[in-house]
Amino acid sequence: MNQKKIALFLCRCGANIAGAVDLDTVAARFKDKSGIALIATHDLLCSPAGKKFVEETIAGKKPDGIVIAACSPKMHEKTFRDVAGRAGMNLAQVTMANIREQGAWVTPDKNEATQKAIALISAALGRGALHENLEARSMECNTDVVVIGGGVAGIEAALMAANAGRKVTIIEKDISLGGAVIKTEEVGPSMECAPCLLAPRLAAVRDNPNIRVVSNAEVTDVLGFFGNFTVRVKKAARYVKDSCIGCEACFEVCPVSAPNAFHLGLGAKKAIYTQFPGSVPAAAVINRAICKHFTDGSCDACVAACPFGAIDFNDGDESLEFTAGAVIVATGFANVNPSSIPALGYGTLENVVTMPEFERMASSNGPLSGEIKLKNGTAPASIAVVHCAASLSEHGAAYCSGVCCMTAVKAGELARKKIPGVTVVNIHDRLVFEGPAAQEFYREQQSKGTIFCKTSDLAHVAVTRAGDKLAVSAPGTAPVTVDMVVLSTGMGPSPGSNVMADILDADCDAAGFFKPDHAILHPTGSTIDGIYAAGSCASPCDVPTAITRAQAAAGDALAKLVPGRKIELEIMTGAIDEDKCAGCRLCIAVCPYKAITYDAQKNKSIVNEIICRGCGTCAATCPGGAAGAKHFTNAQIYAELGGVIHG
Amino acid sequence: MDNFNPVIVAFVCNWCSYSGADKAGGQKLDYPANVKLIRVMCSGRVDPQFVMQAFREGADGVMVLGCHPGDCHYRSGNIKTLRRFALFEKMLAQLGIESGRFKLDWVAAGESKRFQEVATQMTETVKKLGSLSIRGYVESEAA
Ligand code: FES
Repeated sequence: MNQKKIALFLCRCGANIAGAVDLDTVAARFKDKSGIALIATHDLLCSPAGKKFVEETIAGKKPDGIVIAACSPKMHEKTFRDVAGRAGMNLAQVTMANIREQGAWVTPDKNEATQKAIALISAALGRGALHENLEARSMECNTDVVVIGGGVAGIEAALMAANAGRKVTIIEKDISLGGAVIKTEEVGPSMECAPCLLAPRLAAVRDNPNIRVVSNAEVTDVLGFFGNFTVRVKKAARYVKDSCIGCEACFEVCPVSAPNAFHLGLGAKKAIYTQFPGSVPAAAVINRAICKHFTDGSCDACVAACPFGAIDFNDGDESLEFTAGAVIVATGFANVNPSSIPALGYGTLENVVTMPEFERMASSNGPLSGEIKLKNGTAPASIAVVHCAASLSEHGAAYCSGVCCMTAVKAGELARKKIPGVTVVNIHDRLVFEGPAAQEFYREQQSKGTIFCKTSDLAHVAVTRAGDKLAVSAPGTAPVTVDMVVLSTGMGPSPGSNVMADILDADCDAAGFFKPDHAILHPTGSTIDGIYAAGSCASPCDVPTAITRAQAAAGDALAKLVPGRKIELEIMTGAIDEDKCAGCRLCIAVCPYKAITYDAQKNKSIVNEIICRGCGTCAATCPGGAAGAKHFTNAQIYAELGGVIHG
Repeated sequence: MDNFNPVIVAFVCNWCSYSGADKAGGQKLDYPANVKLIRVMCSGRVDPQFVMQAFREGADGVMVLGCHPGDCHYRSGNIKTLRRFALFEKMLAQLGIESGRFKLDWVAAGESKRFQEVATQMTETVKKLGSLSIRGYVESEAA
């Protein structure tokens, strides 16, 4: 190839550059250099007149490339790429020499500044001569959304995307939607009824023609990439058809029951059951493990009782497949189990319960129909709430969940509503309340009678039996004797989240929550493009934050996946030269985006240019020189190096 | 050696350190003109060969500057850099290049002052070392 002819534009930038760098000396230095098409000096290249000048010069003189010796590329590289584009030049043929920020402004000695400018321009010319055209690339995309998890966050994300006209599939592992929030009674600090908050959202999901709910189902595989995912799902047999409206006629005739997860094991449900009246989907489900039709074939009472002929003992598991451009993970959290701290007595002492269990008792859709009761069936006259149970501890959650103090304070409010005259003592160390409303709620609970006792050592709080009561001792505060102890536990990752992360190829943090793409700039993105983490699967959070994260995730997906519009792709990607690749796969190990895959048949690594963001780490790692980085090739960097060193 | 004017090349990542240098410029925080920058998208792009090539071409000192660990624009590129150059630094002495001639450091986009300090200090250090001549095995440093 003939040597490229490059046009060199020198910008005076008013007096910014001209005052500190002798541009005449610079121009003279390059005047006779081979490969220079022309040298032009201008007062202000980024001004309308300057841009017009560059555009006309390119169009008229048709250089192969241009070097703009002016300010930082961060300032105006895009400006001049656009200008060049208008004049018919490829964007890659524009090179900036940053003689202002790196020269004029930081080098007081004019001679030194001039020599440095020469070196930087020389580097830009050297590199520019080797630039290969880069093509803007885009890809058709699927704009549908799959939401994994149907709690408040999943519901919110699904509604938002569906209301924008996208087809949404919610995959839920439980038999109906609602997640953790539907199991609570009231949401603090405003103490709004949780089921009442959710009921209209559930109805909206049910009535939205763009949303399909697949419950009692698990994701088994996620293939593909941003804009083009395939999600495989295994849907467990329900043994009840969709025609079931949840009328509960069968519940009465069903002869068997078992403790149920919806009640956190505190209460039983029949072998045919729904989670709660008005659930979405409405259809009941048969618990095959205890149903007498399946265990000994002795019963089919529900068949006769059902007014809709909905019972279907022949139902089987189903494998389903969905395609989507984005996947929003909203798999929630799990309550940390405080039995890891034996001194707290959970699981060994009667009437020691966790805060979620306490809320379940207080819940109108709960196992005790909203009554807070001791094991003996009477209402407790005194309750101690232990904050940070199994939190800030290597034996439980090592961190502060940030929301449990609020919930722990709520215990008093719930108890007083249900049991007039009850005494409530909260034993705490540091109290964490986010924002004025939560702080105000705490003060209000103090004035309503909750007693707050500060301990000096959370790690040594102990609960012991004292007759038919419980004694709670905490260093730094007087021991209390109560009927019931409520352990305020933190939020841990949901048990399946690491499996889910594996399926998605995404990463979890040390605690087991989904890691963000970028903790500050893109907190709802997971480490895989197009896969979002919404709600508490990203980290412990309260309900409003879960909703906000869901909206952020859906909003981001909606903005990036627009029907009829292609996805813009990174142009400066990595590239692997197949002829040189020995299949060692070191590049796969270092790629931060899992953008490189291995073709076993060819024994080659392959860059997926849709996922690659062009960091170039693979290029630096490849021992065989097969991996490279477009626009940052070794040759281009060496040419630049020669320029800065030799001027 | 008073008027020895070393050549120092700094490979800087686009997102943090290049921006830090730009900010130093915006604030007119001057630093020795000896230090010249080469932009890469991420410090993870910097192949140790680039550093060797810089020395070969005549650089007396070379820096690699990136985002602070944990802040890489590409998640973890700089962690790879850190690992890669930990080994490389050990080898430099074996090759007869004083360890002071190479520096891997982190400069955030907001750390204009720090950029100025790092650039100035590197220049001082390299000035003291004098012009690079490969002397062979540096016993005192090849621990
Ligand atoms: S982008 Fe700055 S080190 Fe990776």
